[in-house]
Amino acid sequence: MDIFGSFALLLAFLATVYAFVAGIVGIITRRTLLTKSARNAGMAVFGLITLAVASLEYFFFTDNFSLAYVAAHSNHALPLYYKFSALWAGQEGSLLWWSWLLSIYVFLALFLNRKKHPELMPYVGVTLAGVQTFFLVLNNFVASPFHVLASADSAGVMHMARLSEGTGLNPLLQYPEMVIHPPMLYLGYTGFTIPFAFAMAALLARYPGEKWIHITRRWTMVAWCFQGIGVLLGAHWAYAVLGWGGYWAWDPVENAALLPWITGTAFLHSVMMQEKRGMMKVWNVWLVFVTFMLCILGTSLTRTGIVSSVHAFAESSIGGWFFGFLGIVFVVCLATWFKNRDYLRSDNKLDSLVSRESSFLFNNLILLAACFAVLWGTLFPVLSEWVTGSKISVGPPFFNKVNVPIALFLLFLTGVGPLLAWRKTSLDALRRNFAWPLVGGLIAGAAGFAFGWREFYPQICLILSVFVTLTIFSEFYRGARVIASRDGSNLLTAVGELTMRNTRRYGGYVVHFAMVLIFVGIAGSAFNQDIQKELKVGQSLTIGPYTILCQNFDQPSNENYESDRATLEVFRNGHSEMMLYPERRLFRTSQVTETIVANESTPVHDLYVVYAGRSPDTNLPVIHAYLNPLVKWIWFGGIVMVLGTCLAMVPDRRAAIVLRAARDRSWGDAIVQGGSGSPATSPVRSAPIRRPGSDD
Amino acid sequence: MINVTYGMKFSGFAMRAGAALLFAVMFLALAPASRSDESPRAKALSKKVMCMCGGCNDTAGTCNHTGGAFSGPCDTAKAMQKEVAQRVDRGDSDDLILQSFVQEYGPTVLPDPPKKGFTWLVWIAPVVAPLIALFLIWEIVRRWRRRVALAPAGGPSISPELLDRARRESGRESDE
Repeated sequence: MDIFGSFALLLAFLATVYAFVAGIVGIITRRTLLTKSARNAGMAVFGLITLAVASLEYFFFTDNFSLAYVAAHSNHALPLYYKFSALWAGQEGSLLWWSWLLSIYVFLALFLNRKKHPELMPYVGVTLAGVQTFFLVLNNFVASPFHVLASADSAGVMHMARLSEGTGLNPLLQYPEMVIHPPMLYLGYTGFTIPFAFAMAALLARYPGEKWIHITRRWTMVAWCFQGIGVLLGAHWAYAVLGWGGYWAWDPVENAALLPWITGTAFLHSVMMQEKRGMMKVWNVWLVFVTFMLCILGTSLTRTGIVSSVHAFAESSIGGWFFGFLGIVFVVCLATWFKNRDYLRSDNKLDSLVSRESSFLFNNLILLAACFAVLWGTLFPVLSEWVTGSKISVGPPFFNKVNVPIALFLLFLTGVGPLLAWRKTSLDALRRNFAWPLVGGLIAGAAGFAFGWREFYPQICLILSVFVTLTIFSEFYRGARVIASRDGSNLLTAVGELTMRNTRRYGGYVVHFAMVLIFVGIAGSAFNQDIQKELKVGQSLTIGPYTILCQNFDQPSNENYESDRATLEVFRNGHSEMMLYPERRLFRTSQVTETIVANESTPVHDLYVVYAGRSPDTNLPVIHAYLNPLVKWIWFGGIVMVLGTCLAMVPDRRAAIVLRAARDRSWGDAIVQGGSGSPATSPVRSAPIRRPGSDD
Repeated sequence: MINVTYGMKFSGFAMRAGAALLFAVMFLALAPASRSDESPRAKALSKKVMCMCGGCNDTAGTCNHTGGAFSGPCDTAKAMQKEVAQRVDRGDSDDLILQSFVQEYGPTVLPDPPKKGFTWLVWIAPVVAPLIALFLIWEIVRRWRRRVALAPAGGPSISPELLDRARRESGRESDE
């Protein structure tokens, strides 16, 4: 079976190299048959890597410890679903996993577009094959997961060896979210390859227009959403498993996952400038290039440990390959852009500074500033050591100081941007749209102050959050009111109707609202409290409104682990509220300890209690209790984000009259006339022909 | 100190009680820093130095070793917390305390890089770079505003048919 797996991987490598070379030759010689053959080879890669992945999984499920990779990441006692997820627990497996997820995207992109876009697809196929080739080189020749164990006999002859038991999976990874988090994150990382390939194709094919953006809009959103889910699940895992009371530490690997998500966000916004106004063409191409390069950089940071990280689950000297590839990608992007830059001229002009256009410019500026700040802080220790020879640390305080103001400004734009009209917004419209939300925000700020919400940044965050929420709701309300009065339906039905008529716009608003929820959750961290205390049975500690009384300590152990557990009773205002059982487990095979946090989570706060172990000084049990306000809002925001993104991907339902009008009018005409033009903020005035909110 | 002054004026008992109280406070301040009773200032300060155990990438105040035998601060972090608490109690200023850590461990001990010399760049760049970008945007916007109309003069020779077809197709895509 190991030969089967490595043979499938080798064939996949040959197929993708063929797809790359034949694709290029097909383009140059204009031989359609060759181009088709290259495409089919590109699709076949998916099947071949699937065989390799299945073969490796087979080794895990049959506890075959003759493979070095299986022996290092599994053991007999490991539950089935962790045997499945052990596939990506180490370097070689996760690179194979990367390759496989990429091949799924490649297959879908080539298959779904097999009869469309004949000018673009050959270039798309070549670009995708190029990226796939790099990963298959790693899978086959640098980090193959199919190495068998061998031992030398007395004569120095190597024999295959098979261990009777494996080392087992790192206990920190034995958590349900670790089955989902890496696939999500990797689906994000790999997914950005598709818009990258289409952008590259449009440039190489010198294909004018916005076609590549229209084709890739949903692909980009899928990748963006997966990346977001991946980041949030990672944060949640860190919170639930590591037992340090936090969810984000600005660790290089966390930052690396955040970076492409930030540039992806910028891209999702700035493409609208190109679609509506024919502007920012160069910018969009570069944004998608940079996003892809950040994905590669992110993967390499995770894999190589070039910057010190606590996430060093999979480190090695593979860095050179990644940075080499990154260099090649950069040179290819630069050369392609330079050669074909004439095709990226903007069509349109900016009419007013107070307009949707300039708010998008600011949005992109701020997102890129955030991206730069994070990247700069992450790589600065390396840069500093390289330049001055002395090591320095760039810790969480730096990232917080720099990013909090940037993020708050972004939140402000989230509220302002969508309400500005394309081209020009009148002062009157500004007043009409912003007066009430602003008043609402200020009232909320005052109320927050009265109730003890008195830190500067969280205070600003509260005001802005309420402001943004109100602007979003007023958008829904105003649009729905028009429909309700025209159709005679009730307001709730009208909201549904409105949303389904322009899912992209209203789905976008839902995602904005999700961001508000996440911001509120993060702002809560300014009010975190924690207390650590040695507790004997019968002693208690107090945190916030809670008194935690220690009832008992016991050792409920089993064959997999030994455990130390505390039984705690939580009182509030003298009443017993709940029992908590924080625990520490020592896994027998790996001798690694794991914290089982007792977290009582409510929308108001999390009472997060950790059994920290026995004090090395006194041998007494130490309980560490945290009271973290509003954390739940972050996870809830994540769910809303996914719903909003899904909504934005649903095709619009259109009234018949509008559909006909749209069919009659070509996109190009729309651009020449200056987009769909009318102010975004006044669906009221647009009634009979324009559907409410159709400008987005 | 108030207690002591009061005691000197009115009675020996009050003075002794005050001295005892002061002593008790000092004793508490000197107790191991991992206890819950460390001063807020010491707690804040210990979050301004990195834990130098080399394995956690965290500050001494927030060090929380996962996977180890004890998931609180490690021995290095605890020693550092204790040192902070002692120096706070001795009355050293924040700067002095941080300086002494830098002398002991080098500049890596500060999670915030110093705002001087080369490391000043880490602070200044996230401010300067967006400003430069803002200036560039300003320039671009100025050019955009001056642009008269849709005029690809001197641009590539895209045939009108291709452009038209591309636009038609784009329109169709967006209607999907």
